[in-house]
Amino acid sequence: MDQAFPAFSPPHELKHELKHELEQEHKQEAAPSAWPAAELPVAPESLARAPRRELLHLAAGLGFAALYGLALGARAGGLSLLRHALAASAGLSAVGVLGVPSLFVLLALADAPVSPSAMLSAGARALASAGFVLAGLAPSAALLVVSIESPSAAAFVARVGFALAGGIGLYQLVSAVRGMLRELPLALRFKSSALLLAFCLFAVLLAARVWGAMPILQGGA
Amino acid sequence: MSPVLRAVDDLLRAPGRVAEQARAGGDLRALFLASLAAIVLGAGVFGATLATSRGGAQVFYSGVKLPFALVATLLLVVPAFHTIASGLGRPLRFSGLIALTLAAAGRAGLVLIALSPLTWLAFDCGLSYHPGVLLATTCYCLAGISALRLVLRGIGFDARGYVIVGLFGLVLLGTGGQTAWMMRPFLGRPGAASVPFLRGKSGSFFDSIEQSTSESLGLTPGARDEPR
Repeated sequence: MDQAFPAFSPPHELKHELKHELEQEHKQEAAPSAWPAAELPVAPESLARAPRRELLHLAAGLGFAALYGLALGARAGGLSLLRHALAASAGLSAVGVLGVPSLFVLLALADAPVSPSAMLSAGARALASAGFVLAGLAPSAALLVVSIESPSAAAFVARVGFALAGGIGLYQLVSAVRGMLRELPLALRFKSSALLLAFCLFAVLLAARVWGAMPILQGGA
Repeated sequence: MSPVLRAVDDLLRAPGRVAEQARAGGDLRALFLASLAAIVLGAGVFGATLATSRGGAQVFYSGVKLPFALVATLLLVVPAFHTIASGLGRPLRFSGLIALTLAAAGRAGLVLIALSPLTWLAFDCGLSYHPGVLLATTCYCLAGISALRLVLRGIGFDARGYVIVGLFGLVLLGTGGQTAWMMRPFLGRPGAASVPFLRGKSGSFFDSIEQSTSESLGLTPGARDEPR
């Protein structure tokens, strides 16, 4: 049996890599806050690591955003809970799917030194942070939208939550990408910053478009 | 001196030490207990004092409702504070953040205790309903400022700290305002025949602000005059 399945002995380099991975994981667990947002601004070299982990962060962020949607849907209850939960996550997903790849392409065209994995990591962390903030706002939002009578006031509360979380998510993304551009010549950095600004405007409009489909933001329940 | 009394003393004299203790973590039981006691006692005494203008059962009702409104608000806004601080790069352990928020509210409660005799005297000298509301608002502001200083010491006295505390204040104001609105009345009208524990559902804190703003700008005629 032992001969058929000999003990796996990784080569020296692989051992070293595994040890490094374990050390990194141990460090993350020992950190005061295990949430990725705690590590901002993210060092550019760390951004390219473990795309799978970043995708997990992204999925968690979208799940957290759904909590805020559930809170908003509690105003009408029933199917509205599901509709708002899906729409809350969809707004962030739209920015992630439509916005972040475009930003990468435009930055690459401008010859900015960004890699797809680093951009994926920065985007995932930013969206995860936005979702995390939405989840934090969910208890307050639930109380407010359920107890406020005026549809316009309830819509205002919902918009403030989205603006706050979206703003923090964009701040995270911009901080991470600017970290990657730190060593660039001034002209290139200016061009990249202009692209980042344009991306921020696009992300705001896109998220507002998707979130605007929620009944609560249309003045209904 | 017992650890709880020492923690109460620290809330008053050494907000920096309290903030540092909350940030560092460790055994925070004494701070938790002292802060909760200060919240319940401070808000309870102040609530009861506000209700002396009406008297009777209102004194008891307000003495119970104000601490409840404050604690309920804290429960609702602490997750938001945690996520905002983390999102803007100032993460604190969740337990530390709860301790910091409770300590700040406890300090506010102690300030409210200190302001209660003055408030009682004002009502006893015949302060009417609307100036009474203004006086209560001023007291809340003073208590809030002293709480804010403690929170800022925990988060950091810099631009980022101010942004975090400002955004948290926005959430706190909206949530706290609506919670208190739902638990009205706190003062009660001297001429009212009966004293309700809670008023029936009518509008909201935001509707009230919207209506007051419209009326003060002359956009809508008439003034609503409801007990707060």
